[in-house]
Amino acid sequence: MQLATTKFTKNDLAKYPFLKETTEYVKKLDLKIEDLANPEFAKILERAEERVEEAILYALVSRKLRNEDIETLSFPTATMLAVATENSFIKKRYALAEAKQAYNDMKLEPKEKILAIAQNFKWKLTVNNDAEIPYEFTLHFTDYLRNTTHLREKKWKLVNRLLSKGNVYLTRNEAARLLSEEVRKHIEKRLEVKELPKLPQKIMETAEKIKKLSVEKIGKAEMEGFPKTIVQTAFPPCIQALYQAFSSGRHLSHVGRFALTSFLINIGMPSEKVIELFKNFSDYNERMTRYQVEHIAGERGSRTRYIPPKCETLKTHGVCTSPDELCKILHHPLAYYRRKVKTAKTDFQN
Amino acid sequence: MKPISFVQRMFREYYMRDYSLSSSLLMIDRREFGFALFEGWMLRHKSFKHSDELKEFLQSSAPSDAYCSCAYYENPEADMDKKGWLGADLIFDIDADHVPTSCKKVHDTWVCGSCGFGGKGGVPEKCPVCGSEKFNVKTWPCEVCLNSARAETVKLLDMLMEDFGFSKSEVYVFFSGHRGYHVHVEGEAVKTLDAVARKEIVDYISGLGFDAVFHGVSRKSWRRTHVLSSPSLNNLGWSRRIAKGIYDFILNAEKEDLTSIGLKRNVVETILKNKDTILKSWKGSWTLGAVKGVGFETWRRIILSCAQQQSAKIDTVVTTDIHRLIRLADTLHGKTGLKKAEFPASAIDDFDPFKSAVAFKKGVVTVFVSDAPEFRLGDEVFGPYKERKVDLPTAAAVLLICKGRAEVVG
Ligand code: SF4
Ligand SMILES: [Zn+2]
Ligand SMILES: [Zn+2]
Repeated sequence: MQLATTKFTKNDLAKYPFLKETTEYVKKLDLKIEDLANPEFAKILERAEERVEEAILYALVSRKLRNEDIETLSFPTATMLAVATENSFIKKRYALAEAKQAYNDMKLEPKEKILAIAQNFKWKLTVNNDAEIPYEFTLHFTDYLRNTTHLREKKWKLVNRLLSKGNVYLTRNEAARLLSEEVRKHIEKRLEVKELPKLPQKIMETAEKIKKLSVEKIGKAEMEGFPKTIVQTAFPPCIQALYQAFSSGRHLSHVGRFALTSFLINIGMPSEKVIELFKNFSDYNERMTRYQVEHIAGERGSRTRYIPPKCETLKTHGVCTSPDELCKILHHPLAYYRRKVKTAKTDFQN
Repeated sequence: MKPISFVQRMFREYYMRDYSLSSSLLMIDRREFGFALFEGWMLRHKSFKHSDELKEFLQSSAPSDAYCSCAYYENPEADMDKKGWLGADLIFDIDADHVPTSCKKVHDTWVCGSCGFGGKGGVPEKCPVCGSEKFNVKTWPCEVCLNSARAETVKLLDMLMEDFGFSKSEVYVFFSGHRGYHVHVEGEAVKTLDAVARKEIVDYISGLGFDAVFHGVSRKSWRRTHVLSSPSLNNLGWSRRIAKGIYDFILNAEKEDLTSIGLKRNVVETILKNKDTILKSWKGSWTLGAVKGVGFETWRRIILSCAQQQSAKIDTVVTTDIHRLIRLADTLHGKTGLKKAEFPASAIDDFDPFKSAVAFKKGVVTVFVSDAPEFRLGDEVFGPYKERKVDLPTAAAVLLICKGRAEVVG
């Protein structure tokens, strides 16, 4: 087994700002949050804003490597901006865009650099030296599973891979692809902030600007994932939890996915919208998703529309984890929603 | 004397005199234990600080069955949602119930719980008369069935060691004490795998979602089919299994094997007529396209059925359940009085469950047997018996009583 002795250059740190090494480098530069409001650092904030905007507009983040320090520092600043928007769509979109860009960059890197990046995430990735096996890397199956179980393409299924002595064989593109999954998860975690810290006025203003832009470009409904007629605040706890888990990229159980999909269809979300929602928040195979959603909506197969399972069933499948007061008197998530919508509507009219 | 209390007395004696936890039980104080008692109820959410405490409990309660979680918890005694899951061993259960054998027609019977309709052999999914899904089942731990479960276990072990790369020191193999085998994998690498990752492992082992296209079989632009993988690929993972599977399949193929996977009559005839050519070309150059008239779709079917043969028939639910309770090693099985016995993976071919798992080695008991097939324990063969009184060694008597086929006389 060879050791990745490759050191990251300053250029690499700017290109892969999510690396531990970058974080350490940034620490040494000793930039304070308050400093960002200063005119001399205006360039950093500007570039940070641009990063998030590019993510929203193109789902990619360009690389501007001429001024490495600005580029490097703009990443933690951009994550701060994304956090400041307090909008889960923007956060997801930003993490996804950075990851996609990283994929585009990584697949062109020499093997040693890919190894070094993998090592940053504590992956057991090695170079395959067996000339007769047409793959460049091997990855331990546990790392492989952690980054593929939500990918729906058949080629990612373990049974369709070459697995030997604990290692899955990967091409360079595949290694870069799975690493970018890790990057996405890593950035999403960084954006998971329970309580917004006190941020300078300038940052908050920029965040507002970004929010406006995304409403303009993406549309409010899409951003929240729901058409207007749908009252998200009336979701029962089980559906709320499923939606949250799903929209933060976690994998749903079969029952969970069925419950969420059939619930949304039954409260009047068009199947086209449901499919879009799935597309926004995950890379579920579009064809399969479409098939399943349309099936549940009764647009295919048996031509009957499915309704979500009743509370009792959801309980046995562990989907109902934190029922509330209203749950006590109702036995179906749809009943819960209808009851709650009534009260929510009256709130609106005030 | 009631038969149950006799069995319980024997179980208690075993736990007092012979029981010792021989196999390692990693982090015993972090696991949840569960017990089925002869008195008829279940005890769950128990935990023990060390193996002596567990032993004392077994001696005082003499349960009919003892289980322990594959999972480690912060608080093993708390309710399920407050236990604090820390990780779990990767476990596999291979049960004769999941492996089709023809002898089940001889020794297994089932009766519908709601209408009383009954039959012989494997249990149907639904009662053919009333559609109920509840049955009363009478099974038998037969040697043929156990041998086929063993063959599945051999395939499983091969995948665990060759493909997944687990070492001998991480893999523990057991006879379950009834009709199958358990395999436990312990270790840091697998401990924190979630249910979804475990499901992928299950799919790998049972060949679910397998597609030959990803293993080097593809349609070429001309009418023949070629396997593109190079010989070295055929030494690894599923590709190796398929390479071997194709050879065995063609070599042993009879007309029925080929028609049963849906091949047309003329294709079947072509294959049978050209067996030698196909085998030679496959072994020599890993080429499947040697014979005209046997094309891509045919090979895809053959390979899928090879995959089925090469897969191991594990109980898929057990492995994906990260909270599962599984029978505790060296304890007795309430349905047989045999113990769950560990043996080294390398010894699987010679392991004799009807010898190694026998817990009661002394004494003779007079029993009245209602109905029992011929069976072997240790080096002795017993039965068949029908409605008669016999003197049997304790182990044989306990087995028949536990199986509901005999009662103590006296
Ligand atoms: S009780 Fe019903 S509606 Fe309420 S959380 Fe549970 S499953 Fe959902
Ligand atoms: Zn019936
Ligand atoms: Zn049998």
